Amino acid sequence: MAISEVSFLGLTRGGDSPLGLTFGLDLEGGTHLVYSVVPEDGRDPTRDDMEGVRNIIDKRVNEFGVSEASVQLLGGGVDSVPDRVLIQIPGQTGASISLNFGAGTVSAETLEAFFQNELGRPDATVKENENGSLTVHLEKIQAEVRDVAGNVITPSEADAWRAMIIAQYPVALQVGFILPQVSTPVIGDDTAVDPIPTENVETLPTLEDVQAAFASIGRDDADIEAINGAEGLFSILMYGLDISRTDKNGTPILGEDQKIQTALRSIGNVQFTSSQGTLTQWIVGGGVQEAKNVIGKTAKLEFRYRECGDLLPPSSDIPWPPDGLSVDEWGIERCTNPTYFTESATEIDAADLEDAFPSVSQGAIPRPIVSLVFNEKGADAFFEVTDRVSRQSDRLAIYLDGEELVAPGVSDGGISGGRAIIEGGNFTTESVRTIAIQLRSGSLPVELELIQERNVDAVLGKDSLQKSLVAGAVGLVMLLIFMVAYYKIPGLVASVSLIAYTIMLLAIFKMIPVTLTLSGAAAVILSLGFAVDANVLIAERTKEELRSGRSLFAAITAGFDRAWPSIRDGNMSTIIVAIVLFWFGDRFSTSVMQGFALTLAIGVLLSMFTAFFASRLLLRLLASTRLGNHPNLFVPVRDQSGSEPRGNS
Amino acid sequence: MDIIGTRRVFLTISIVLAALSVVVLGTPGLNLGIDFTSGSTITYQFGEGDHGSADITGALIASGHPEAIVQAVGDNQYFIRTDDLGVSGLDDISPEIQKLDPDARVLDTSTVGASVAEDTVRNAITAVIVASIFVMLYIMYAFRSVPSSYKYAIAAIIALLHDVMIVLGVFAVLGIAVSAEVNAIFIVGILMVIGYSVNDTIVIFDRIRENVTLAPGREFRSTVNLSINESITRSLGTSITTLTVISAMLLFGGASLRDFLIVLLLGVLVGTYSSIFIAAQILVLWERRSFLPWRKTAATNS
Repeated sequence: MAISEVSFLGLTRGGDSPLGLTFGLDLEGGTHLVYSVVPEDGRDPTRDDMEGVRNIIDKRVNEFGVSEASVQLLGGGVDSVPDRVLIQIPGQTGASISLNFGAGTVSAETLEAFFQNELGRPDATVKENENGSLTVHLEKIQAEVRDVAGNVITPSEADAWRAMIIAQYPVALQVGFILPQVSTPVIGDDTAVDPIPTENVETLPTLEDVQAAFASIGRDDADIEAINGAEGLFSILMYGLDISRTDKNGTPILGEDQKIQTALRSIGNVQFTSSQGTLTQWIVGGGVQEAKNVIGKTAKLEFRYRECGDLLPPSSDIPWPPDGLSVDEWGIERCTNPTYFTESATEIDAADLEDAFPSVSQGAIPRPIVSLVFNEKGADAFFEVTDRVSRQSDRLAIYLDGEELVAPGVSDGGISGGRAIIEGGNFTTESVRTIAIQLRSGSLPVELELIQERNVDAVLGKDSLQKSLVAGAVGLVMLLIFMVAYYKIPGLVASVSLIAYTIMLLAIFKMIPVTLTLSGAAAVILSLGFAVDANVLIAERTKEELRSGRSLFAAITAGFDRAWPSIRDGNMSTIIVAIVLFWFGDRFSTSVMQGFALTLAIGVLLSMFTAFFASRLLLRLLASTRLGNHPNLFVPVRDQSGSEPRGNS
Repeated sequence: MDIIGTRRVFLTISIVLAALSVVVLGTPGLNLGIDFTSGSTITYQFGEGDHGSADITGALIASGHPEAIVQAVGDNQYFIRTDDLGVSGLDDISPEIQKLDPDARVLDTSTVGASVAEDTVRNAITAVIVASIFVMLYIMYAFRSVPSSYKYAIAAIIALLHDVMIVLGVFAVLGIAVSAEVNAIFIVGILMVIGYSVNDTIVIFDRIRENVTLAPGREFRSTVNLSINESITRSLGTSITTLTVISAMLLFGGASLRDFLIVLLLGVLVGTYSSIFIAAQILVLWERRSFLPWRKTAATNS
């Protein structure tokens, strides 16, 4: 159901979902995970621990490309500390790909059409995220299947799509060349003998030069144009630019953008001025299982001191570098080949790493880097270790679960203040992001144990929603028919206030907002029954007052006054139950109960409100019209004859 | 209509039903779902072609889950219950099911760990007790104007326990008959039954409260009888409307809420019955201090 959005006084009506309401995972499809938080040393988690866990999970979930996930702390009780985390991820039962071309380059609609028409995936939906990246949701992605020998039987669907997407959407580069800086002779300097100005020797590359450079790396298909009126400035349009830094097996390779850069450098002093439409992000999420892996991971992060092989020969009679390596090769091998280095633990505790995040270096060409922030204790240890690393040209090796993440050297002495950045020649936007996530996950001081899980297929959710809407509509119509047929005018009034009640209830749900779950929907439909109750009570009382000989108007007033205490007391008990349910609800590791309780409480309060205002006023209004001349219309069908005994009061 | 005069019949019926409920709740007991026992459930939607439960059970045994219980739920959908699958999730099961039918899709999975299940049982019981206590306190407050208001509160609570007991009993029978499972939302249903039962009872008590104040001299028994008669059409009216919406949900709503709706349906029926025939009767019995209505019967029979 598509309803366009309408804004009024800053309030927005409409939206994508039916009636613009927020639906829970059982009506929308999605995943619900509950983790128990257990600190490693066995004590109870503190509030700080829990907030830390919430922050970390929030980040992990967002980084996974799930923007609407909610992370909530559960359990405890009134004044104790929560010990569980509830994660709700809507509509995440399939798989997803999160990709980024740079904001505004390829729209969500275009990419969705491409997936549906060109890639034959009608199940694809594409959404634009706040940071400009796009997320493609699919029911399923065929992962790469290999046989025992490691040969690929079925290639990864996502890899093929990536190639096709790269080939489909062009990358626009703008390349500028500048003349090298030449020292102009100082006036009066009589040692200057060269009469020919430097500019005459150094020229800017021509269009042909640039074309040749692209051809030299096998890219003669690039559409290169010189920009008019700006010498040395070219615009290049090319398809299929792949900036991957690794091949399929994870072996580092030279990205195509790096190749282009090298080729262009060989013909002049190049400066990239801009590039648009490069696919800089490509993360394939395998749905729930993958999300679980990302969220529940507790990792052990270690900072180790790596003592590299000696730069200088230990004694003069040993051939150095060893094993016939050249001096250049030794410079790398001494710190990367485990046969040449030794490692030892350091005083840097992973828990002292407060944050790690991807960012870019400052300078003409920003390069992706990882930033680290240590707390005070960590900062001191970090200074001591980096100081030693720097003096001895060694490395600081960082391991996650025994796997090396990075092992940077330190160039300018110890790093103080607890803030550091890690640069790397082969770092990419993706790789620094991953490293940052991994560094952060390692500083989580607790273990997360998955204790409850629920996944609902989006199709099943839609089906449930559809059925609930039908059930609600049928129930409402049946009620209206019964009320009008049996209670006549009061029934009609009840029907009008019931409709008003329904509309107001949905409006309140939208405003708070209440997330409507399947059981919440049941509570709504059920509350229709309760809402009618007040009207039934009023109608019955009015009938009695009429019998006792009062005028219609007086009977309505008295009938309402008599009915009110039982409406109030009866509903009060339901509200008490709703409060107890809400209070206990979060101990059940499910949001279902609290949702139900809230829905019910709102429903009951609102039904009292509509009975008090809508029903009463409408009844009095109708009684004052010509209908008031027919008191029989205000008496239920069965009791018209007045044959039922009134009792002996 | 002399409802008070028929009290022996109805009290006997209620005592028998409640006693039977206690018996079936002992053995076989409720058919507890994973929310209470821990474990995992999966609902698969199979494609074309009928795969019997036996094939699916075979696939589950092959995937290392001999404990799995398979149940056909119609539309080529199968509901599978296994031990707690934990973090590995469907990694073991999916490949075997895919072998059976590559188009099989998972509609719904749910896993509850043992620690949660234990808490759920404890919290469910506590929630019901706490709700009952608060409702009782509220009734004592609301009826403070009539003499010995605690009697009203206790009578309402007895009716409430009667309702809950019978609903649980019927559910235990349904557990065998149609594999109706008790899960977390069942507790919501039971609390709703409490709410409804008390609401219905209060409306009648409210009438008694009013009539006692209007005619303090009248015999209590007549006042109660009058009050019930005056409220009976309202009680039935409200029951009919509530049952109408519940039936609409049962007929047109999804299968997932079936068990929950059955609880409500039973609750409304039993709740209406008990507020008319049980709750007010207890007040009269208390007033006359004759709690054993059959004693008189036994005496006349002998």
